[in-house]
Amino acid sequence: MANIAAQRIKREFKEVIKSEEVAKCAIKVELLNDSYTELKGEIAGPPDTPYEGGNFVLEIRVPETYPFNPPKVRFITKIWHPNISSVTGAICLDILKDQWAAAMTLRTVLLSLQALLSAAEPDDPQDAVVARQYKENLEMFKLTAKHWTNAYAGGPFVNTDCDEKIKRLIDMGIEEHQARVALSSYNWDLERATEQLFS
Amino acid sequence: MEDTMTTSQGGESDMDYSDNEYYDYYNTNDDIDIEQLDPRKIDPEYFEFSCLLEEQVDRLLNETVETLSNNLQIPPSLAKVLLHSNQWNISELTKKFNENSTRTLIAARIEPATPPGSLLLTRYVNCSVCVTVQPLDRFYSLSCAHMFCRDCWSMHFEVQINQGISTGIACMARNCIVLAPEDFVLKHLQRPNMREKYQQFSFQDYVKSHPQLRFCPGPNCSIVVHSKEVKAKRSTCNQCKTVFCFKCGCDYHAPTECQVIKKWLTKCADDSETANYISAHTKDCPKCHICIEKNGGCNHMQCYNCKHDFCWMCLGDWKSHGSEYYECSRYRENPNIAHESVHAQAREALKKYLHYYERWENHSKSLKLEEQTLEKLRSRINQKVMSGLGTWIDWQYLFTAANLLAKCRYTLQYTYPYAYYMDTGSRKELFEYQQAQLEAEIENLSWKIERAETTDRGDLENQMDIAEKRRTTLLKDFLDV
Ligand SMILES: [Zn+2]
Ligand SMILES: [Zn+2]
Ligand SMILES: [Zn+2]
Ligand SMILES: [Zn+2]
Ligand SMILES: [Zn+2]
Ligand SMILES: [Zn+2]
Repeated sequence: MANIAAQRIKREFKEVIKSEEVAKCAIKVELLNDSYTELKGEIAGPPDTPYEGGNFVLEIRVPETYPFNPPKVRFITKIWHPNISSVTGAICLDILKDQWAAAMTLRTVLLSLQALLSAAEPDDPQDAVVARQYKENLEMFKLTAKHWTNAYAGGPFVNTDCDEKIKRLIDMGIEEHQARVALSSYNWDLERATEQLFS
Repeated sequence: MEDTMTTSQGGESDMDYSDNEYYDYYNTNDDIDIEQLDPRKIDPEYFEFSCLLEEQVDRLLNETVETLSNNLQIPPSLAKVLLHSNQWNISELTKKFNENSTRTLIAARIEPATPPGSLLLTRYVNCSVCVTVQPLDRFYSLSCAHMFCRDCWSMHFEVQINQGISTGIACMARNCIVLAPEDFVLKHLQRPNMREKYQQFSFQDYVKSHPQLRFCPGPNCSIVVHSKEVKAKRSTCNQCKTVFCFKCGCDYHAPTECQVIKKWLTKCADDSETANYISAHTKDCPKCHICIEKNGGCNHMQCYNCKHDFCWMCLGDWKSHGSEYYECSRYRENPNIAHESVHAQAREALKKYLHYYERWENHSKSLKLEEQTLEKLRSRINQKVMSGLGTWIDWQYLFTAANLLAKCRYTLQYTYPYAYYMDTGSRKELFEYQQAQLEAEIENLSWKIERAETTDRGDLENQMDIAEKRRTTLLKDFLDV
């Protein structure tokens, strides 16, 4: 069984390397070991989304039963998205669960994840806090996602208001990421975020 | 202990039915005594069912498959997929199929939504799953024409079966939802233990999708109960004796409906902490305030100190409970609640819930306590019989009474969730009136059984009769299944 998995990954690896998406720097995949069980994936944030200009790194683990079972994928780069956990990077995507088909490939997975960044599905959330913000205050969500893209994925959009509020909390002795999570969760309301952090 | 008061258990006759041919049961109606009244009319809980073994279920399913296969002129394996996705309803399915066979086959995921394109047939083909080139004769496909090699199909099936999936295994192509029928799967499974596992899982799926079949929920029991009437009625397994609701498979819950009891049990689980404080085993006598422990099931308490008779539930004087002014089971809603503050409304809602929960919980405890009473009674009678005071047969009526009490109290317990979800109005008033009547007679019965040896047999039997009548009346009016 493991034999088919390695055979397939070898082939798919070549397929991705040669694909036109790689040529356009939209997706990338890298082998992390010789047994083809661990890979590093990368996807570019799609244009006209809060993720534009960011580069998102993925952890890809290939199970022994691949391709009859889907690869296990999660975001290494921290991201603010309703279907991706802001804490663990776990992804809620049907093709990575029961909608997987053995004929799908790593390329399919990476492109589907890119599509997920363009079109979130807040009704099937992985991160309840993010999903609520997305549904109740879309502008606030976009601002926060853009800020996270800047902070963790090398995105170009700097938001000085966000950075200043984070700095205020850092001055109070809060760790940077913790401060960002608290502020993001409370729609950048410094007072409520502070209250939550010190309660 | 035989339950000899089985006037209302339609299933008993099935259980005694020695020949295990399930279909015969329904065909031997010709010997019914015309003098006999229709049990369906007398007994609101009457229910015809049979307990089947796995082979009998297999035969029942196969007969249905064969009939449909003949009716529609399709292979049996496809008929099985159709039936599985259409609640095994032959007549409905035949109608649908004759109206539009393509649509029916697509809806059941037997055929693809868009017909497959023409195939490019070369002598060697590349399998897109294992990425190897192999001769064409090693390739197979479902109706969607997505071809994969033999080894990939069997690997696919093995992986799915190991995850507990059987009737729901789809094609391996992207976005293709066509299901693999039984014969196709079995053709690709070589290992006997895999075939066995597959058949076991699909059997489970078939029974679960069949509204007239229900697995016995008893531990390690493989009996399947079959009934043509798909209703929330009481069924009793003839092997492990588990009693359950035929429709939902949970503990029997008349007069409450399946959905309502589910809602109630979830609520009780969610609110268990709020309700915890009431589960006390001791209360103070409302008259002399001495601490009294409840060690019997009866809610009619008598203080050992001052002999005051009172109700364990509401601490009210028992005298008012025996009369028609019995109000203990009824919850008095605040008529002006709509005008009160949100806080007051929340408090009122909690108060209302606790009223019903307390009684539900209390009767459940009483059932357990009465079981203990019965055990004690059994050993006392044993001593009597040993010392020559009558035979077991002479005392049999006491056990009959205890069993009837348990049955009545069980129903009474399940009237509380029913009442909790009822809308206020005359129907609820009638319900609560009957509930109160039933409750009063049950406590009288319990009181008499606890003092069994000093109670007159005729008096006790009279009380049994009244309690069971009240129970049947309530069920006749409110068991709406
Ligand atoms: Zn193959
Ligand atoms: Zn297909
Ligand atoms: Zn059983
Ligand atoms: Zn039920
Ligand atoms: Zn007292
Ligand atoms: Zn009372």
